[in-house]
Amino acid sequence: MEKTKDFVDWQNLANKELKDKDLRKHYWETPEGIIVKPLYTEEDVKNLNHKIGLPGLPPFTRGPRATMYTNRPWTIRQYAGFSTAEESNKFYKEGLKNGVMGLSVAFDLATHRGYDSDHPRVLADVGNAGVAIDSIEDMNLLFEGIPLDQMSVSMTMNGAVIPVLASFIASGEEQGCSREKLTGTIQNDILKEFMVRNTFIFPPKPSMRIVADIIEFTSKQMPRFNSISISGYHMQEAGANQVQELAYTLADGKEYIKSALERGLNIDEFAPRLSFFWSIGMNFFMEIAKMRAARFMWSEIVKEFNPKNNKSLALRTHCQTSGVSLMEQDAYNNIVRTTIEAMAAVMGGTQSLHTNSFDEALALPTNFSARIARNTQLILSEETGICNVIDPLAGSYYLESLTSNIVEESKKLIKEIDEVGGMVKAIEMGIPKMRIEESSAKKQARVDSKEETIVGVNKYKPTEKQEINILSIDNDEVRKKQISRLKDLKQNRDNNLVKSYLEKIKNVASGAGNLLEVCIEASKNRCTVGEMTLAMESVFGRHNLSTKTISGVYGKAIKNDGKVDLIEKELDKFIKENGRRPRMLVVKMGQDGHDRGAKLIATAFSDLGFDVDIGPLFQTPEEAAVQAIENDVHVIGVSTLAAGHKTLVPLLINELKKNDAEYIKVICGGVIPPDDYPFLNDLGVAKVFGPGTNIQEAAIEIVKIL
Amino acid sequence: MKLKEYLKFNNISNKDFSEKIGISAVSLSRYISGDRLPEKSIINKIHHITDKLVSANDFYIEDGDSQILSKVQKTKVDDIHKKLVKGEKKSLAKAITLIESSLGFHQLESDYLLSKIKANNNTIRIGITGVPGVGKSTFIESFGMRLINLGLKVSVLAVDPSSKTTGGSILGDKTRMMRLSVNKNAFIRPSPSQGHLGGVAKKTSDSILCLEQAGFDIIFVETMGVGQAETSVYDMVDIFLVLLLPAGGDELQGIKKGIIEMADLIIVNKADGNLKKLANLTMQEYKNAQNLISNNRKDITPEVLTCSSIEEIGLEDVWSFIKKFVKRRKKNNLFYETRKNQKVNAIWSNLNTKMEDYLNNEKKLLKMWKMKI
Ligand SMILES: Nc1nc2c(ncn2[C@@H]2O[C@H](COP(=O)(O)OP(=O)(O)OP(=O)(O)O)[C@@H](O)[C@H]2O)c(=O)[nH]1
Ligand SMILES: [Mg+2]
Repeated sequence: MEKTKDFVDWQNLANKELKDKDLRKHYWETPEGIIVKPLYTEEDVKNLNHKIGLPGLPPFTRGPRATMYTNRPWTIRQYAGFSTAEESNKFYKEGLKNGVMGLSVAFDLATHRGYDSDHPRVLADVGNAGVAIDSIEDMNLLFEGIPLDQMSVSMTMNGAVIPVLASFIASGEEQGCSREKLTGTIQNDILKEFMVRNTFIFPPKPSMRIVADIIEFTSKQMPRFNSISISGYHMQEAGANQVQELAYTLADGKEYIKSALERGLNIDEFAPRLSFFWSIGMNFFMEIAKMRAARFMWSEIVKEFNPKNNKSLALRTHCQTSGVSLMEQDAYNNIVRTTIEAMAAVMGGTQSLHTNSFDEALALPTNFSARIARNTQLILSEETGICNVIDPLAGSYYLESLTSNIVEESKKLIKEIDEVGGMVKAIEMGIPKMRIEESSAKKQARVDSKEETIVGVNKYKPTEKQEINILSIDNDEVRKKQISRLKDLKQNRDNNLVKSYLEKIKNVASGAGNLLEVCIEASKNRCTVGEMTLAMESVFGRHNLSTKTISGVYGKAIKNDGKVDLIEKELDKFIKENGRRPRMLVVKMGQDGHDRGAKLIATAFSDLGFDVDIGPLFQTPEEAAVQAIENDVHVIGVSTLAAGHKTLVPLLINELKKNDAEYIKVICGGVIPPDDYPFLNDLGVAKVFGPGTNIQEAAIEIVKIL
Repeated sequence: MKLKEYLKFNNISNKDFSEKIGISAVSLSRYISGDRLPEKSIINKIHHITDKLVSANDFYIEDGDSQILSKVQKTKVDDIHKKLVKGEKKSLAKAITLIESSLGFHQLESDYLLSKIKANNNTIRIGITGVPGVGKSTFIESFGMRLINLGLKVSVLAVDPSSKTTGGSILGDKTRMMRLSVNKNAFIRPSPSQGHLGGVAKKTSDSILCLEQAGFDIIFVETMGVGQAETSVYDMVDIFLVLLLPAGGDELQGIKKGIIEMADLIIVNKADGNLKKLANLTMQEYKNAQNLISNNRKDITPEVLTCSSIEEIGLEDVWSFIKKFVKRRKKNNLFYETRKNQKVNAIWSNLNTKMEDYLNNEKKLLKMWKMKI
């Protein structure tokens, strides 16, 4: 780089002001491996890897529309789903009265995995983390009094995407809204499920066929509906850094394009209906740069497929503020975090936005916290004046340089994926999963050794405990209700007709034809989500995940501030007394597939010197107990994120009792409302760890308990 | 050494010593006389203060020279054995923990347990090795389920490598054996390998005996293809399987020299999808090479097969070969001879480790002597 005289003057001056006289020591290496300097100048924007251009025009770096928010602000879209269809319906109507412009449905875990509420494996999952939908009847209740031809509906569904979308379309038609009038988005992004979220049902190949079926159907019959929402969100939630999130999501997108083209579709038929979904975390400028880089890169990627329509090149996105950035400790700080993240999403030019409620690290949002979350967006859009200018940070030396860096780094990752033959192949080899888990373990180590600050968690901890009101759901009640509704349904339908439709589904699954098409008819004839899934499963099989784990990453990244030595001493003592290392089984019970926490615990504890057994995903309490006994572990660590703990942990402890194995201790970690701690302790749970727990400290405590 | 001897040798009075570890002189004398057992934490303190010369064993074993178990210990082990015979998994789990323990008195207990176990020559011990990711666990899952459907009881011992820095390990084998891990006719026990502590061979062999006592017909031993592990597995099993990737010769496979020569059966796994062709090529390549290697086995020629553990193709042939192999080896007595030799070898290698421990302790004794003189 050529240095002007002014710049050299500045450098000298700066060095003088610094105690260590070394400017370079103040460079910041981001988790993505990008070096951020203290000062950017016009020199830094001379050779960019991206083109800036103008909004609404290729390469769309500045936004997919010419007018952006100056014409219409982003859509406030709050993701929510509560226990039953009636409850969710109430919540939606409340939101619509208060400024929400689009609905976003969260389904419960049983539905995600294609199980009806009466299935024995989902005892603890019905109504958890979203609404239970067993059939078109539940869909009808969900949208009762909400005209679907006027309301855009986004649905987070990937695994059971065919039966759920089919029920939605069928319900719309029963309401009198024909399919071509439906607007909204179906997530339908199965690749990231195999990568991070694990809410899949079928193996990768038939799963990709399903994606293509949906793209084909919507592109022909539902012109206003987004056929897929290619999501980086869950990657960042699982610990990916921003470059990984961006690169892997775009690589997923490329894979979807390829499979739609293989189906014989024309690129311009479906590319304009592909949409994206980002997570927006606390690295403010990085997030904005990521969104801009994404638009530029996507247009380049799609261009390779020779579209005629410019709209095919434009990336439209939904954003959600980061869930992992929410902390249980000092929870009101989350309001501030969400505000900053929302601002980044808006500066980055999002098309719609969900802002998290501050209590989401603990439980589902209450009316109060949901209102604050909504208002955060309303304030940004109506009080700040941000909407008056398009892409306001464009041209900033720092931001453009950062955007350019991200483009460069992501291209490297995409190249790696291309080289092994695309994302499906890469996922089979476990490449992205491995890299994301590495990032996640490194991040935890940085937080545990206070290299990264989280206010109220690892620094500036509050001295007083705050009381926060949270909503809890009686999951047993919901289950009973759903089961009785299923019974009614099965009594009042034509069961012969149902059988013949399920046969038809099997035929289509094993041959040609469109699965969504046949399932719409099946839904109308009251086939349930579980039945339709089972019919497909009989052809496709159910996918089992082979879990891979990394090791050594946490151990290497952790700064030894004496705690490591302390743990070693405790372990030494333990081994002398017991003849072996403490052995812990980390389990995830129920249908919640988020295994970031479990993986992190497993790898960190083994790095710290524990022997760690990992249970398969989706275990029942009985299976977990058997594994603990067979492997003769000292302690079971239950990782929970989805409120299943209130049902599952008692069952687990019961199983241990039944087998005379109460010598095995049980501890819990994850998203557990503090109100539930006494309940768990009374059951005999030895220790509960909330989000933001320092793993080293936890390790010491656990050795002491054993 | 016994605490009594230690104190006498070093001229330390009971009173001084009891103050040093913070207990009453009365308690100490009870410990010395063997009337009572000290708590773990006290044993620990004594262990450290005596420069590790006095350890838990010296309290648990009534007489320093003859290694005799206390009544309590005997009853405990008798109970484990009784339940083991009935096939109770919890006792089986506990038995393996005893075998794996590094504590001397646990080892005494497990020796006593093993003395009660009778040899069973109707089982088949199958060793499986191959580079990480070749599909060992997946193979055992599919193959094991098939055997269970034939009415057999199947068990798996899996040895994982320990991380070098702190020694903890991640044991994820069950996530790749989902069906087996929930089947009541199966038992899977992944063991943390204990690095330099040695004795893996003896411990695994002993665990095998417990599994057989608990009624398991088939015992798989899965090891990572690293370091010494695979050769030691060879010494504990009736038949040794090496899994290969469809990838051409040894260098491409990343496997160690010598392993192939030890194999009784070579299986090229992942013979499915677009890897099928390559798998067949690889098989052919190894078959050819096999003809060149001077065959040091008199009785049966090692075989090379392909299979897909995921699509469950070719498993039938594997089972046929194993049955044929065992039958032949029983007929010519090699099956029994090998088991006998393996037992002797395991005892020797175990003695070796014990000897090393002993010498290490002896060195410290010598130091103590020198200081005194
Ligand atoms: N296509 C194909 N993939 C397989 C087959 N067998 C195993 N795999 C895959 O290979 C990967 C590794 O399989 P594992 O069974 O865990 O391999 P392993 O040898 O036990 O691995 P380590 O225990 O880590 O040494 C998994 O992703 C399996 O799904 C097969 O027959 N065909
Ligand atoms: Mg394995």
